[in-house]
Amino acid sequence: MKNLAEKPFALLGVHPNDYTPKKLKEVMEKEKLNWRSFADHRVISQRWSSRGTPTYYIIDHKGVIRYKWNGYPGAKAIDGALEKLIKEAERKG
Amino acid sequence: MPSRAKFGLKSDDVQRTEIPKMNRKSALDGMHIMRRSVRYAVLAVGVVAALVWARSVAGLQDRIQEKPATAAEEYQALQKEFQSAAAAFWQATTLEETNKIVARVDKATTKTLELIETNPKDPIALDALTQVVSGEYWLNAHTSHPGWGKESRQARAIALLLRDHVESDKLAETCKRVHYGFRQESETFLRTVLEKNPHREVQGIACLRLAQFLVNRLERLDLIVDQPELAKRYDSLYGKGYMDALKKQDRARVIKEAETLYERTIEKYSDVKVPQYDSTAGEQAKTELFEVRYLAVGKEAPDMEGVDQEGKQFKLSDYRGKVLLVYFWSEF
Repeated sequence: MKNLAEKPFALLGVHPNDYTPKKLKEVMEKEKLNWRSFADHRVISQRWSSRGTPTYYIIDHKGVIRYKWNGYPGAKAIDGALEKLIKEAERKG
Repeated sequence: MPSRAKFGLKSDDVQRTEIPKMNRKSALDGMHIMRRSVRYAVLAVGVVAALVWARSVAGLQDRIQEKPATAAEEYQALQKEFQSAAAAFWQATTLEETNKIVARVDKATTKTLELIETNPKDPIALDALTQVVSGEYWLNAHTSHPGWGKESRQARAIALLLRDHVESDKLAETCKRVHYGFRQESETFLRTVLEKNPHREVQGIACLRLAQFLVNRLERLDLIVDQPELAKRYDSLYGKGYMDALKKQDRARVIKEAETLYERTIEKYSDVKVPQYDSTAGEQAKTELFEVRYLAVGKEAPDMEGVDQEGKQFKLSDYRGKVLLVYFWSEF
């Protein structure tokens, strides 16, 4: 993904297991992941990610789900979607 | 009444016919009879032995002449070939190797279909047709093949499934494989099974899988909208007429039908076990119904709360004003 540091964008990871925050941090360090993540003890994953991982949702600046993928849709698809929605957020139309 | 004279017998002759005297009891006579029994026994054993030997020779001759394999044996061999090619796919390093492997999968898929077209009543037919459906998926997913049009093995396999297996009690796996599809025939198959199959367990699975098929097809259509190259490939794989019709369909109506099917699954088939999940049709339908109602594109995301890896608590709504990518991941 392109550098989105100054953009109105955030990435949130959700892990389906019963990890404590400490354990989750260990796993993330091992996998070299550096974004905010939380372990949801299956409750949310069961509903939002019922067909397994990975599942992606892109939510716009108004809180509406605009994109959803089961399985990796490719960098082009994700980048394209983010670009479009970030433009909308910046316009704040 | 014919006189004895006609048969060249004179009454005198009949009277004089000798009757063997079996009732003369002497030790010698007894032994003579026994020896005869033994002789007969030995003769019988000999005949049986000769038959067994002759058969084994015939068997040997068969092996030498290569007796044709049964349909089941041929199918097993084709399955092995498909699996070994699919495994080799990931080891291929050159385009040439990849093309060879794809050709192997293509050939195994065609031969399996032809085997069943020739032996449609064989007990392995259902399994084999299910494998043909999967074989063409594999080719769709791992190659950029433009599709086989009327030669599609998948379409032909589903036609045979519809003709010969709609009432089977063993359709759980077939319904699962077919529901991953996109083509019209997949939808026809699931609808027909739901309508005509007499087994409740199969109806329940068909009901769930049809709902999933409709939702998946809609989601895939959404993907294509933003990706013109993928759209072109879909036109080629499934037919432009079909794709155009799908794009025109009333989205809300399709979702409504999927919801109705999920509700029906919960109401009528809740306890039916779905072999591929560790759960029942009812549980799976409830989860997916929630998804369709609250987690679909265009819906406001339900709020969620969590504690992050630093131990900090947060809510999804904290991110209002930003574009948020939520990524469900696992380390496997």
